[in-house]
Amino acid sequence: MNSSLEQTFVSQLQEHQNIIHKICRLYTSDEDAHKDLFQEITIQLWKAFPQFRGEAKFTTWAYRVALNTAITLYRKKTKSINTIEFDSKIHKFSHDEYNYEEEEQIKLLYKAVHQLNDIEKALVFMYLEDKDYTEIAETLGISEVNARVKMNRIKGKLKRIVNP
Amino acid sequence: MDELDLLKKDWKKNDTQYPKISEQEIYAMLHQKSSSIVKWIFVISVLEILLWSAISYFTADENYFKTLENYHIDTLMKIFTFVNYGVIAVFIFLFYKNFKSINTTDSVKSLMKSILKTRKTVQYYIWYNLSMIGLTFIVIMIATFKYDNRINEIAVKASGSDSNTLFWIVLFGFTILFFAIIFGLFWLFYRLIYGYLLRRLHKNYEELKKIDL
Repeated sequence: MNSSLEQTFVSQLQEHQNIIHKICRLYTSDEDAHKDLFQEITIQLWKAFPQFRGEAKFTTWAYRVALNTAITLYRKKTKSINTIEFDSKIHKFSHDEYNYEEEEQIKLLYKAVHQLNDIEKALVFMYLEDKDYTEIAETLGISEVNARVKMNRIKGKLKRIVNP
Repeated sequence: MDELDLLKKDWKKNDTQYPKISEQEIYAMLHQKSSSIVKWIFVISVLEILLWSAISYFTADENYFKTLENYHIDTLMKIFTFVNYGVIAVFIFLFYKNFKSINTTDSVKSLMKSILKTRKTVQYYIWYNLSMIGLTFIVIMIATFKYDNRINEIAVKASGSDSNTLFWIVLFGFTILFFAIIFGLFWLFYRLIYGYLLRRLHKNYEELKKIDL
C-alpha cells in the first residue's frame, strides 16, 4: 500500500487512539495484553483502511473494526491475571476532586465490567460511548428491542455485583 | 444515578489517562504479523486442501492403474478421479469466495457467521475426502474378492474348509474397525485444532443468538 495512504492512516489513528485504548481496557487485564490487542487492532484497521471511504467518521468506523477484533479475531495469548493492578494504574490519576466513596464504587464497577462476557462488554462500551440503540443493535447484528432488553439486564447484573 | 451512568462520568474524564502511542510506534505495528484466528484458519485450510489434493494425486501411480485394470474397475475409478478434480475446483472456489466475504467492518454477528461458513466449507471438503476414501476402499475390496484368486485361496486356507463365512465376517469386522479408528482420529484432531481456535467464537456467537431469541 502506498506511503501517503499509510501516513494518512497513521496520523488519523494517532489522533484517535483513545477509542482503541478504551476497548483494550475492557477486553484485557494487563499491560502486555493491552499492547498486544492494540497492535492486532491496528493491523486489522490498516488492512481494512483502503475500503474506508470517509462517509462515516474515522472513529465510528474504527471502533467497529476494533470491537470485531477484540471479540472475534483476537487470540488471547495468556490467561488474564492481574486485573485490578492495571486498572488502578490507569485509574489513579483520574480524579481531581477526590471523593473516596465514589472512587471505590467506580473501582468496583470496572472490576464488575471485567467479569462480563465479551458481548456484554461490547454493549457496555457502546453505552459508555453514548451510542444510541439503533447503532448498538446494528454493530452487534441484533434487534434494537433485544439490545435494550440486554442492556437493562446488564445494568441489573452490574448492580448485583457491586451491591451484593 | 445508576451504576453505568456513574461509570460513564468517569469514562469520559479518563480520556487523557491512556498511554500515548507515537506515530513511529504505529508505523512499526503496521509491519508486524497479525495473529488473528482468520489468518490461522486460512493457513490451516490451505494446508488441508493441499494435503488432500496431494494424497489423491500421489497415490495414483502406474501400479495402481494396473491393479485397477486387473480388477475391471479402471473406468469407474477414472470417473471417480474426474469427479474428484471437479469437486476440488468447486471447493477451492467456495472457500475463496467465503474467505473473501470475511469483513471486519460487518456487524459482529455477520463477521462470526462468515468465519464459521468459511470453516464449514473446509470441513465439508474433509468429510467429502474421507467418504471418497471409504467408497474407493469398498469398491476395491469388492473387486478384490471378485477378481483376485489369491485372496480366495487365503480364505480357504484360513478356515480350513470351503465354507469360509467366518473368515469374511472377521475380515469385514476388522475393516469396519479400521475405518472407525481412522475417522475417530480425524474427528479428534479437528476437535483439538478448531476447538482451540474457535471456542471463544462459538461461545460469543451463541451468546448473540441467545440475545435475539
